[in-house]
This record gives sequence, structure tokens and C-alpha cells, in this order.
Amino acid sequence: MIPERVQSIAIVGSGAAAWLAAATLARLLKPEFCAIRVVDTPRAAAGAFGEAALPTFHRLNGLLGINEADLLRRTRGTYRLGARFSDWGRQGDRYFHTFSPIGARLEAVPFHHYWMKLRRLGDATGIEEYSIATAAAKMRKFAPPGPDRRSVSSLYSYGYHFDAGLLVRYLREYAQAHGVTRIDRDVVQVHVRGEDGFIDALQLDDGSRLRADLYIDCGGAEGPLLRQTAAAGYEDWRRWLPCDRAVGIACASAGDPPPYSECKARESGWVWSVPLQGRMDCGYAYSSRHVGDDEAAATLRSELPGAALAEPRLLRLAPGRPSKFWDKNRILLGGSILEPLESTGLHLVQTGITRLLTQFPVCRFSPGDIEEYNRLTIMEHERIRDFLILHFKATQRSDSPFWDDCRRMEIPDTLRTKLELYRDSGRIAMFDEEHFGEDSWLALLLGQNIEPEDYDPLADVLDIGEVRAALSHMRSLVRDAVGALPGHSQFIEAHRAQPSA
Amino acid sequence: MPNRVRDILIVGGGTAGWMAAAILARRLARGFGTIKVVESADIGIIGVGEATIPPIRLFNNALGIDEDEFLRKTRGTIKLGIEFRNWSKPGREYFHPFGAHGTRLEQVSLHQDWLKLRHMGDTSSFEEYSLNTVAARLGRVSAASDDSLSPVFAYAYHFDAALYAGYLRGYAEARGVERLEGKVVDVELRAEDGFIRALRLQDGRRLEADLFIDCSGFRGLLIEQALKTGYEDWTHWLPCDRAVAVPCESAGALTPFTRSTARAAGWQWRIPLQHRIGNGYVYCSRFIGDDEAAATLLANLDGKAQAEPRFLRFTTGRRKKFWNKNCIALGLASGFLEPLESTSIHLIQKGLTHLLNLFPNRECAPTVVDEFNRVAIAEYERIRDFIILHYKATTRDDSPLWRYCGNMDIPEALAYKIRQFAGSGRVVKYGSDLFASPNWIAVFMGQEIWPERYDTLVDQRDVATLRANLERMRETLHRAAEAAPLHETYLAQHCGG
Repeated sequence: MIPERVQSIAIVGSGAAAWLAAATLARLLKPEFCAIRVVDTPRAAAGAFGEAALPTFHRLNGLLGINEADLLRRTRGTYRLGARFSDWGRQGDRYFHTFSPIGARLEAVPFHHYWMKLRRLGDATGIEEYSIATAAAKMRKFAPPGPDRRSVSSLYSYGYHFDAGLLVRYLREYAQAHGVTRIDRDVVQVHVRGEDGFIDALQLDDGSRLRADLYIDCGGAEGPLLRQTAAAGYEDWRRWLPCDRAVGIACASAGDPPPYSECKARESGWVWSVPLQGRMDCGYAYSSRHVGDDEAAATLRSELPGAALAEPRLLRLAPGRPSKFWDKNRILLGGSILEPLESTGLHLVQTGITRLLTQFPVCRFSPGDIEEYNRLTIMEHERIRDFLILHFKATQRSDSPFWDDCRRMEIPDTLRTKLELYRDSGRIAMFDEEHFGEDSWLALLLGQNIEPEDYDPLADVLDIGEVRAALSHMRSLVRDAVGALPGHSQFIEAHRAQPSA
Repeated sequence: MPNRVRDILIVGGGTAGWMAAAILARRLARGFGTIKVVESADIGIIGVGEATIPPIRLFNNALGIDEDEFLRKTRGTIKLGIEFRNWSKPGREYFHPFGAHGTRLEQVSLHQDWLKLRHMGDTSSFEEYSLNTVAARLGRVSAASDDSLSPVFAYAYHFDAALYAGYLRGYAEARGVERLEGKVVDVELRAEDGFIRALRLQDGRRLEADLFIDCSGFRGLLIEQALKTGYEDWTHWLPCDRAVAVPCESAGALTPFTRSTARAAGWQWRIPLQHRIGNGYVYCSRFIGDDEAAATLLANLDGKAQAEPRFLRFTTGRRKKFWNKNCIALGLASGFLEPLESTSIHLIQKGLTHLLNLFPNRECAPTVVDEFNRVAIAEYERIRDFIILHYKATTRDDSPLWRYCGNMDIPEALAYKIRQFAGSGRVVKYGSDLFASPNWIAVFMGQEIWPERYDTLVDQRDVATLRANLERMRETLHRAAEAAPLHETYLAQHCGG
């Protein structure tokens, strides 16, 4: 018969991961069906880091019934068409990775092969002229994509930038309104059952014990659950993803917020800036083997676009993955920051929760459920890992030991296969469970000057005059569509004025 | 570009050869060199794949073929799925439909709702939630999507493979493909890199090309006999190694589905065309002789046999590489999976899709070749697993074949899928799976792999409401199926005369 199911969940953590998980679970599980409590460690610092979300955040809006304008108003949020990368391939380079397709197929051959062919013939149009989101981002314009699927104006997506602290508050209020209990305590000890290694209870700092059927650990590598039940182990990816620390600071913004994040490669890492309404959150992710904390903080200060609004905060990054995301009755979710480049943090929490709910666990924790959850989660993380590694690997910089190390590093086989196929033929090999699609890989490869030796021979089939005309038409469609968009600030302003729906 | 492929030579003019010629002629219309097909009238066409799966429509669309004309020319019929008889045990029957079962309520897959009600004693069949299954049993179907009165089906075709090959030959020849009559007697390899340089025909002609497509059937004239690519034998998982085929006269209503009936030493196919029924018995020579197999087949026909039974021999498995040097193997030259799930023609189509996605230069860069093999082999093996499932998931012990299959070891990727479904009803998905969750669910449950539990999220919902929702869904689907025309009526209207 059906064994007894999970009836209580304890989530440990105080960040967006914990409350996103709580809000989603509360929305999908009735309180009488499953009790959800969050142990929200009070000493955790309020977020000073801007949080960036991928377009998949829309699924959460749909699921939770979030009104977008309301969400952005309450989190000082802005829209995000993608990110601008500076100085990655070579100093002085700039490219965008946005959430829209680049051009359109002609005769079933992917667009970029035609573009590569024309470029060899002397055509100087940039690949970015074929991407509506990139063209819009460059002009700091924004409106949501239109509903007409035949129009180029429908062919992009967008994410958000949030004030991390305000996002936590937003999700927390949602979760609490849906029956989640918040426990304002620290975990001082984790009691583990001798017979099977399951977590039996959490010892809190007021002397009480908290018991649940399932524990979700959003505390990251430094979190109490992983630290104390670390039999599981951690696979370190620092040999590929060298940034193991970050320093962050909020500053006054100079001018209107752009509808994109910025990622600037620097001597021993990279500097981000996340635009919020009336503020800019900046940070420097760096390799502690190449630069000291003080020097990193000084570098960050010199990069700020406006006056610092607070003291810099230090953060440890944990590039790597636990060998098991789900072990016994404990699931690790999104607490550790892989590498903030490409902003996959919230996305990975969302997919983790979705995966958990595709088969709600029964109390005995069937090994099959756990095995499948881990199989998929590991693959998903490894594919994102490869995408991140390429940012560091695909460089021609030789101006610092950090970039020398990146340029020379060995890379995982999956990434090497992808890179070699691309170099030979301009094609992108796709593996199971990839989040980033071919156009994302292409934006990165071209943006960092990785040139293939050839394009698809089938791009030679279509008459060159027809190719030129088709590409010219695509550029004009993009130009016209972008011309019709309002400015990003204008759009935010117009929607701020509306009362919450 | 100097290194571009100019000349393509296709060896063999069966279904694979002419599918290749047609799509290459369509896609390489301008700016390329020659496409030639060399075939011999002395060598027969196997044409086992008379039943197809829905992606064949994409292939025909890519060629710009009109569906009604195609059905008329190939004496084709519409296929909604496959009826399996006697597989998990004698007397049990199930339907594997194309398309999904019903619609998902909230966040849980419909089969989980159904499993809960089954645990509670409900007896409705899961098949009642499939539009295709309900319509197939009523003999009703429509391929038209412009007729708003008729529901939209996921469908494929049955057709005469020889007529299809002939139809595509006309298509290809009209677009400049040259057909050469002749028998290949020698293959000339380049000493420096082992690439194929030229073929020599019996009449002395020598044919050079940049790229060779081996559609020569089981023997793999180029890929195996010349290039010694090697073969991975899967007989231990798929022990059937022979087939005997015979067409018979039609009798009774025109069923819009393939039938597969398990027999003592294999299984029998029944494929209804407009003018006849194709039949065959796929069997294992270890357990039955040719004469007995033929007698069994002849004793189980709907109508009078129209020809002498034809015998085929094969070894289930695949070439170690589908693409080796400058030679790509398609169809039976690339390997053999029995046509239990009608994937033969699909595999040809996929091979061509991959070739067009990874079209090489003359040097056939190893990265491109490796990528083709990586993707195509993964796909092939996932289809293999799906076919093995039919044999493995059986309680039959009435003959040596079924006793062997019930006890045999299976590939780990499949064993994992079965364990997961048997535990929780979850369908494990691999990126290279052709068959999607609804297909696996239909076959798992059809072959009586019942999950130990259902997704407990269903317990959040009120049982009476759930029951009412499912009942309404069944009624809606039944009404929709009733609204479709009878198969004969549809064909008469669309390709009659």
C-alpha cells in the first residue's frame, strides 16, 4: 500500500533560496497536507547584493500569482534583457548575452552560418544587430515582448534585477500569508539518528528542538546542516571556476538604470553591477589565490559608478557541487553560490523545487526518488558549470597571472567536445539537461572572439543575393521593433504609477 | 570553398536510398555537384517498414509532398497507434497510441490521478483517456486539421514501402538525381586515409564521389564489407533473427492501427493498406523452424494470401559507427532493430536529419563525424531499450522464447527506467529518447508494470471531485472520437478514385 508521506518540512536558511522554496511549497501544498517551517537565522546580514533573475522567474510569477509591477515596486526592481560583458576576450571588448534568438533560420540552416559567411565576404554588420533584446538593451529600451508570435517583437524574454533583501521580504510575506511558520532562531546542533544517519531534529539556540520529516538546507556550504552532516562531501570546481570570494557594495546610481547587468572582467576576477531603482549594487568576484581581500575591495571601490552607500561586505563563493544534492532526508538547495556570473542562483532553486514536486517524497525516502533527483540535478549543474567555465577559458588576455591561468586551464571533456566541434564547423553540440541554448553559447563564443574555421556548407546552397536580402530584412525588422519600444526608465515609471492589481 | 563536397553517391535504391536522394535533392538544390543513386534491379527491396510514426509527416512536409496525393500513390492508410496482443500474457491486449492521455489536472501527471483511483478500486481503463485509442477502437480517424468538427489526432501512416520508394524516386529524378543501374563489384579505398575513393560496377564503370551513403541493406556493402566498421550484436537482448512476410487480401473494416500479436517464438505484424494487408512473423530461429513459422503466419491471416511467403534473416544490433570516414550508413546498412514500434523508416529519417545538420566537407572532420555518431547512436540505443521493454515485461512462460526474455539481463539505462516506474510511476527521460513519457506510460502499463505507489500529491485533492473530473474527461474524449469519420470514409473523401 501507499507508505506514509512527508507531512512536515523544515527549511533552514534566510536568503532568497529559502523563502523562494517556502513560498513555492506553500503555494502547492495545503497547510493541512504538509506543514512548512523556515528556520530563518536572524544574524544573517540583510542582503546588500543585488539579485538577478533569469527569464524562468516568470514561471514563478505564474505559479504564485505574482503581479510583476507590484513585485518590482516592492523590490526596487528593474527589467533585465540580459547582461553586458566587457573586457573578457580582450581588454576593450564588449558583447551582450541577452534572452532572444539571434536571427532566423533560412532553409533550415541556422542563422549564424549565413552571418559568418557574409562576414568572410566583407560584410561588417554585427551579430548583435540581429537580436532584438540586444539591440533594445544597447539603447536602454524595454517593454515586455508582444503577444503576436509572427512578429519579431515577440521573440525575446527577460528577467529581473531585485534588491536581494527586499526580494526576501516579498517572498517571506507571501509564504507566511500562505501558512508558512517562521522560526527566528539559529541552529546550534543537528541531531542525527544513529541507526540510519537521517536527521532526527535540529537543536535551536533557545534550547528547543525542531523535528520535520524532510529538511531543506538553503544555508549553503557554510550552512549548519551541510557542515554537520558533511559525510556527503563536496566536489570542488575551483580549478575551473577560480573565483572563490566576492566583495559587494551598494552605491548611488548614476543616471537611469540600464535594462541589463554588467560583468566586467578585471585583473583577478570580474566586477558586476546590478541596476536597481535609484541604486546600483556592485561586487567583485575574485580568486583569493591571485588577490587579497583589501586589494579586491579597493579595486571594487575604484569601479563604483556612484558614491558608496555602505561598507563593503565579504562573501565566500563555493564553486562546486555536493556529491549528493539529496541525501537521506536532507536536500541542499541553492544556498551555495556556484559563481554569480550568468545569475543562475534563483533558477536552480526553482528547478530543484519543481523536481522535488514531480514526485513528492514519502517518508521512507525511496532510494529511487533520491537517485533520480540527484541524477538530474547533477547534470543540470554540470551543464551550467561548462557554460560558466567557457567565460574564463575563452580569453586572449595575458595581462595578469589570473587570466594566464584561465587561458591555460584544462577543461571538462563535455566542454572540450563542444569547443572543438564549434572550432571546426561553427556548430554547437548540445547535451542533456542544458539550460543555456545554442544562441547563448554562440553569443559567448563570438563575443569572446572564438572563431570557427568554417561555416555550415549548406549555407552555400542559397543564392548569396537572397542571403544578403534576407539578412538585411532581419536587421530592419529588429531596428523597427526596437524603435517602437519605450525607454527602460520610462516603462518602469509608467508602471510604477499604476495601483497594484 | 575548395573543400566542399561536390559529388554524393548513394548505394542502394530501397526506401533508405530514395529517401536520402529526395531530401538531399531538395536541400542541396543549388550550388552543389551531383547526387547519384546506384541500384540493381537484381537486388530486391526489403521494405520492412510499412508502418511509421508521426514524425514521417515532417519529412514529407520538408519535401513539400501533398498528403492526399501521397496516400493515393502509396495506397496508404492512417495509423493512430499499435494494438499489442498477448505480450505480457496470453489474452491480454493493450493499445499504444500516438499522443498523450487526457490532460494534466493541476501539477500532477494524469496517470498518477488514475493510479490513485485504481488503488481505491476504480476499474476504468487508462486507455479511455486517449483520444487515439478510443477512436482507433471505433475505426474512426481524421488527418484533416482544417475541419473544425473533427478532433486533431497525432497520426502516422501505413503505406506500401516499395510504392513510397518509387514515389520518392520520381521526386528525386525530377530534381536532378541521376539513377544508375548496376551492381557494385569493388570498392576502392585511398591508401593514405582509408576513405572511399570510387566504386566499380559490374559493367566496368568506375564511380568517384566525395561522400558515399550506404543504403545497401543488411550486408553493408561500404560501411562493413569495405570499411570493416564492425557490428555490435544485440541478439542477447533481442533474440529474434528471422522474419517471414506475406501480403493478404483485406477483410472487414479498415483498422487505423498496426497490430502486433505475440506468438510462441516471436510476434506477428498486421499492417492494413488500402488494397491489402501486410503481414509478417518475426521469430527466433533457435526456437522455431522456417516452415513452422510460415505455417503459423499463413494460419493467421485475415484474408487469402497474395504471394508466396518471403524470408528475411537479420542480426539485431548496430554498426559500431554509423558514419565512418566518408561513408554514412542508413537504414538496414546501419543496423537492425525489429519493426515492433515501426521505427525503421524513422531511423532513416533521423540519420538524414543529422547528416543535414552536420553536413561535412570533403575531409569529414573527426569532430563532425564523432558528433553525428554520438547523437545518432544514443538515439538508436534508446529506441532499442523501448523495444526490449516489450519482451522483458512479460509473465509469459509458455514457450522457451518467453522464458528466456522474462529472465534475460537488460541494458542498465532500461533497467533504471523500469525500476523508477515500478517504484513511483515516474518516467525517466533521457535527452535522446524518441519515445516520450506518454509512450512509455502506455507500454509500461500495457505490459502490466504497475507502480507500487502513486504520487502522493494527488492526496491533496478531493476524491469525489477527482473522480468527476476524470469521468468528464472520458466523456469528452469519447464524444470527440465519435465526431471523426470512419477510416474508410476519410480515405474515400481525401484520396478516393
